[in-house]
Parts: sequence; structure tokens; C-alpha cells
Amino acid sequence: MRIVKLKKEYFHPFLDVISRQAELWAPVKKGDKHIFDRVEDFNRIEMKTTRTLLPPKKLLVPPAFNTFTFNAEGYQEDLSHVSSKILFGIHPCDIHGLLTLDKLFMHEYTDPYYVKARQKTLILGLSCWPDEYCFAKSTRTHIIDEGFDLFFTDLEDFFLVWVGSSQGDDLLRMKPDLFEETLSDSDIQRYIRWQTERDKAYRTEINFMAMPDLMELKYKAPFWEEAGRACLACGSCSMVCPTCNCYNVLDKLALGGKPGRRLRLWDSCTLVEYSEVAGGENFREHKADRLRLWYTHKLQAYVSKYGKPSCVGCGRCLVTCPVEINVRTISKALEGEDPKAFWYRLPSEVKP
Amino acid sequence: MNGETRCREEGNPFLPHPARIVRTYPLTQDVKFFQIRFLNMDQALAFKYKPGQFAMISVLGAGEAPFCLSSPPSRPGLLEFCIRKAGSVTGALFDLKENAMIGVRGPYGNGFPIEQMAGRDILITIGGLGVAPLRSVLLYCLDNRDQFGKVSVLYGAKKPSEMIFREEYFALKERGDLECHLAVDADDTGSWTENVGVVTTLFPKLSKVNPENTYALVCGPPVMYKFVLREFVKLSIPKNQILMTLERRMKCGVGKCGHCAIDYIYTCLDGPVFTYWDVLHMRELI
Amino acid sequence: MKKDKLKIGIYELTGCAGDALLILDCEDELINIFHAADIRSFLMAKSDNIDGELDVALVEGSVSTERDLQELLDIRKRSKVLVAIGLCATAGGNQAAFLDPREWEDNLKKVYGRTEMTHTKPLQSKPLNAYVKVDHYLPGCPIDREQFLSTLTRLLAGHPPELHRFPVCVECKWRENDCLLNRGILCLGPLTAAGCRAVCPSHNLPCVGCWGPAEEANYTAEYQLLMEKGFDREMILRKMSTFSGTAIADFAARIRGVKK
Repeated sequence: MRIVKLKKEYFHPFLDVISRQAELWAPVKKGDKHIFDRVEDFNRIEMKTTRTLLPPKKLLVPPAFNTFTFNAEGYQEDLSHVSSKILFGIHPCDIHGLLTLDKLFMHEYTDPYYVKARQKTLILGLSCWPDEYCFAKSTRTHIIDEGFDLFFTDLEDFFLVWVGSSQGDDLLRMKPDLFEETLSDSDIQRYIRWQTERDKAYRTEINFMAMPDLMELKYKAPFWEEAGRACLACGSCSMVCPTCNCYNVLDKLALGGKPGRRLRLWDSCTLVEYSEVAGGENFREHKADRLRLWYTHKLQAYVSKYGKPSCVGCGRCLVTCPVEINVRTISKALEGEDPKAFWYRLPSEVKP
Repeated sequence: MNGETRCREEGNPFLPHPARIVRTYPLTQDVKFFQIRFLNMDQALAFKYKPGQFAMISVLGAGEAPFCLSSPPSRPGLLEFCIRKAGSVTGALFDLKENAMIGVRGPYGNGFPIEQMAGRDILITIGGLGVAPLRSVLLYCLDNRDQFGKVSVLYGAKKPSEMIFREEYFALKERGDLECHLAVDADDTGSWTENVGVVTTLFPKLSKVNPENTYALVCGPPVMYKFVLREFVKLSIPKNQILMTLERRMKCGVGKCGHCAIDYIYTCLDGPVFTYWDVLHMRELI
Repeated sequence: MKKDKLKIGIYELTGCAGDALLILDCEDELINIFHAADIRSFLMAKSDNIDGELDVALVEGSVSTERDLQELLDIRKRSKVLVAIGLCATAGGNQAAFLDPREWEDNLKKVYGRTEMTHTKPLQSKPLNAYVKVDHYLPGCPIDREQFLSTLTRLLAGHPPELHRFPVCVECKWRENDCLLNRGILCLGPLTAAGCRAVCPSHNLPCVGCWGPAEEANYTAEYQLLMEKGFDREMILRKMSTFSGTAIADFAARIRGVKK
């Protein structure tokens, strides 16, 4: 893969040129956290962020959108969430997240709502530095060699830019004189040093290779019930997970001759109605069963299909779940350790 | 996966195709029969299905839900469904009259392995509304009678008035080329001439079963499976020749929405027909 | 085929009439509503109200007096479908925010003294389903315009309404808010039914629970979590009970029984 160099002072001029082609989206501040947002003032872009509150899936399949509208005459496909976007600042784990969604939405019956948005979105990745909640090294998603158009590694006074696709190359060609094709030995040394130090910076490690067997062996372990009792069934873990893709469908009607709409809404297998069929039979009435499904999917099922977990180590569940049910605590419990999670502190019953 | 062999839909797989209710009438107090025809002839021809597959039916405004096909593919043109009133989509369907428009997309799911079943004996065990998918496979076997060995049917319902297609099955009893036993849990009419008892009480009435050569099919209420499977195992029918079709919540039918996930499979893509080995192999199936 | 318009009545029991007001405030849609349905009774909007047979009755307010109860029983008798609208009708409302049912008589005496009630007998405030069968629930304090319209349009088409069955947190994440609970703020999002589009957390204000209890509200876990975060027991119970109506009474009684 071709690697070129971009001096920091040329970064905004580069954005200036490419943002005329499509909407530029990048991480910006929201409170003391970050979100992907439409950016016109490049100074809003946050270059040194950890995870955004929501992963970039929100731009491809938004939390709630119309799939089609209908009236007495028939249906009208609605693709209004699709627009040309350049998404800058995606970290390797989130690019892996998109690759995981690609496998689902582009496999077998391809999903036009995802695919059309994906095709119109250019991915400009950005290197990052782990905090205490990142464990992308354990999922091998801290490095990335596919799934982006350009990838920027930030080496303080300059970027090294990996050119990952023909469209990425087109972007460079819009302002070729900003980029240097030849890298000096010291540039290369800088990168190697950066990478070594970055790899050492991961403080959370999880042995994912052991998880599929442990999920099977610990299927009946009591901690599932305990975690289930602590679970708020709030769905937050799924909303923030880059690889959670489940959705619900809802028809809405309107008055005054306006068309009805069929909506798609983000859903979660931890929510009460997830496995309930008409008539009231609920195949996963207990929260413990729903949590186990969530972790079966992350740690076991995807492994048997694709040889790797569908967790990308972004740490969002660690920072989001208010009651500490997350990939770190569950994997510890699976390994037979006491993760000192909230559920161990929850009294078994509030008695008079 | 078998994705490559599956018929791919052109365009947007989530858009339902307009169809018309040709006939509808009540089968029991809360189950209705629906006969449906696509408006577009090309769509009708493109809708090639196997017994055990299902379709997503939309009543726009009420929603969309999966329903297994009750008609056999050997009688093309019209699609038939037996539907119990249970939620908002079925409630809306029940309110519709003949000639009303609905939306249909599919067919989805794996269906019964008809090719492997050819030449074998077929033992069909039905409980209540389980008749919906099994009617498709039974009529298919009868329409292609020479392709199958012995065909036997055991059918149980709660009471005579809840035996769906009762007349059809009484007529089957008169046919010389299959064995058919009927039972009701309780006879509240006083005029029931067949067996009284749960469906498993019909097994001793079966004439000799050649287990190695038999495909045993079952569909019914969740509580029934355990008991019927035990009977199949008692008959020494191989685990991978015991087939059942399952119900799950589904919002897409094409492996995207996630609701029908069990372990690493999706009921909509890898099911709804599963073998007894699948059940032993994967938790949570039944 | 021309269908007869559904006969609809909108009624207020004890409450602030905020839900009826919100319906009236659907300005852009109001004409369409009157066009699509035969509004037989709507005290806040019109004077020629007819109390006959109804297809759908929308009832707000809680049952807090004998007169409320008689009116509710009458409405139920002449309505095919009864929808409880607003928190008072769905969960009992603020006026049911007692932590101990036994306190009600004492509180009544404290407030009204020995005053004789002549026009009607006061009752302990309860949601509609304490007395009659409720077909559908439309929670909120007040109800949300979009949820009301989607409920109404489905009812007009003959379909049961489909409301969210999850807590506020789901909608809060949809709006990409940073979790207030995780920032040490007493937010009741996990306990509260969604439908408001997480309007308070989206403005950096904690959820106070005004949509009433979510289907799977986990009081025990939220209580323990808030205690760990250093909140006072009474403060937590007061906040939790403000909009939870009768749903939290048992839980609160149990907690109170626990010795610190």
C-alpha cells in the first residue's frame, strides 16, 4: 500500500479542497466527550480523541429512519438518509466495526439502506492512543489494512497517509503538491517508535481466543443470573456498540392525506420485547437470557462464522453501562475471576 | 452458508409486492384461511418456494410479520396461509375482506429438504396450528405421491372445533395411499368418533415404521415438541431425519434485524426448519 | 367504500388537563383530527358534547374522587376502546406519589383538617386500571404530540397503538447524549418509559420520570447504584416516587423497612 507524507500545516488546506466534494464529518466536542458531526469550521475537529459517544454506524443506518412511504397508490422507497460524506477521524477499531457491519448488510440479501450510504461514504481513518478502557489490541483491531480510503497516522508535525483505495487516491490527486511521496529514514523511525509505544500503552487485555469455549462451558454459570438481576435493560450497550445491528420496524400513519411511513429503529437484544412473538410468548423473558445472547454474539457466534470476535475493543460498553456489565467484566467472570462488578455488590434482595 | 444458491431479489428486498386477498374464511374461532395472489404476474411466477418456507406479509399501517406458507408449491399461482389472530398485523388481516390489498415478500427460510425426502417414508405429526406449514409439505407429497414411500399423518387438536382443515383430514382418512390418525385433547361435542387424548397417544396406532427410511416432521405449540421428539427417538428415527419448524419474532426475514437469532444462526436464513440434531447441538431452539 | 368516522370522546378526571390541552395544541393537525374522527365529546374544545356510545374514549386524569370513579365507569360502559392518556391516567400521577399507602388518610387529614366534603367523596388517587379494563396506554406528563398522533392514527385505522416498551436511555443514546447517571447525576432514565425523545437529558437535565415506570424498571439496581454514588436514601425514594404512582409503593416500603 502506498504511504505518503502530509505536513501538519497542509492538513486544513487539504480538508478545504476535499470538503467541496462532499459533506465533511469528523469528531467534535460534545460536553467533555466527542461525537461525529458535520464540520465546516475545521478548527472544531478534535484530533486527539478517544471513542466518540456513538460509533460511525449512526451515519450509515441512523437510529431511526424511513425505509419507505406508502399511500393508497403504492410504496415509495425512501433513501433520504443517504448523502455523499467524507468521514474523517475514524479510529481503526471503528473501521473494523464497519467491516463487521459490511459482512452482515452486504451478505446474502444486500440491504440497500446500508449499502447505498456506505458506497457514498469515504472513510478517512486516523490513528489514536488508547486510554484505560481501550482493548483493541486484544481484538487485533488496533491495526487496520483494509476498509479505508485514506488512513492518517498522526506523528506530531506530520501525518503518514496510507492510500487504501482508488477513491482515496483521487482525493490526494485533487491537491497532489501537498503530499510528499518520499519518506526519510527519520520519518520511518518516527513511525516505528510511535507504533511500539502505542502498542505498549494498552492497559486492558482480554483473552478473546478463550471466549468461545468459555461461553459454552459457562452457559449455566450463576453470574449470568446475577448480571441479569443488575441489568437495567436500558439497551445502551447495543446503541453504543459499533457492531450491534439489530433493528425494529414500525409503521406510522399520518392525517390529512399525508403518506404513511415504515420506520427502522435501532433495537437491542437486551430489551424486553426483543424475542417476544405476537400472542405474548417471549423466548427470552429473563434478562440473564438476553444478556447471554448479547455475549454469545460478541464472543462466540461471530468467531465460529468468521474466526474472530465481533467485539472490536473500542471500550464503549465499558464507559457506557451504568451497572458495569461489559465485555471486560463478563470476560473476567467467564474466566472464573471476580470482576468486582456492580452485580456482586447488588444485595440479593431488598428486604424489610 | 448456502447464500449463493438462494434466489436473490432484484432491487430492494424490503419493499413488499402488492397482492390481493382472493379468498378468506374462518377455520376456527381465531384462525382464518387466506388465499393470496400477486397483482403482478411476473412476481407470481418469480415466487418459487419449498414447503416449510415463509413469507413476510404487510398490512401497511399495521406492520409486517412472518407467516409460513400452507399451500404446496405444486399448486402455483395462489399462496395460502392459515393465520391465528394474535397481534396487530394479524388483527388487521382479520379485518380485511376479499379483494383487499396487502403486501407480500419472500419466500424466505430454508424449507423442508424435499430433494432428500424423495423416495423416503414421511411421518407427519401435527399439533393445532402446526398444520399451517405441514399442510404444505403433506399436499406436496400427495401431489407427487409416486415420489414418496409410506405417508403417515398424526394430527392432534384441543377439541373438534379447533381442528383446522378438519374436513380435509377426514377426507384423507378415506384415501388408501396414506395412514391418518386424528385426536382431540377433549371432546366437547359428544359426536367425535376419532381418538381422544394428546397427539402422542396416536403413536401406538401407527403401522410399522422403518426408521432408517423415514423422515419425521413435527410442528405444533412449543410444549408439544419434547413429547413428540421422545416418540420419534423411541422409534429409532435418525436425529437428522427428524425435522421441525419453529416460530420466532422476525422483522426482516433476511438475516438483518437480528430478532430471530439463536446462537450463531438466524431462524429466518438457517431455519425455520431444523433437525433434532440442531436442537441437541444448539441451545434455546426449543 | 366510505367508512363511518370513529366516534371519539376525550375526558378529564382529576389532573391538570394538560393532556387535553396538548391535543388542542396540535394546531397544524387539529382540523385533520376533527376531519378524520367524529369528536363527540371534548369539553376543552367544544360545547355541544354528547355522552353516547363511543368507539374510542381517551381519558386523562387519575381516579381521585367518587365522582371520577362514577364517570370512568360510565365512560367504560359506553366505549369499545378505552385509552388512558397522560401519567395520571396511566400510573396515578403526582397525586399518587405517596411512598406508603397507609399515609394517605393522614395526609388527607393534614391538608383538609375536619372539613366536610359535601360534593363528592375523596379517594386515594389511582390509575384507571385500578378500576376498569384499559385497552391502551399513552403515557407522558403531558403526553407527547407525535406519540399522540401516531396512537390516534393507528386507532383510526383500526390498529392497536405501538408504543416504545423500553426506557428513556434508548432514545437518549439515539440523540448521542453523554449518560448523566455516569456523570454522577440522579437521572431516572433507566426506570422511565420512553416516548419523550429524551428531551430532558438532551438539554443536560436529568430524567425525572414523567413518562411513568418503564416495563422492566429495575428499581433495586438503580437504587443501589444511586446509593453507591452517595445520594441520600430519602432523596432517592422521593425522586423515584414523584411520577411512579402506585408502581413504586411496595418497593419504597421494602426499602424503608431496611435498617441502615
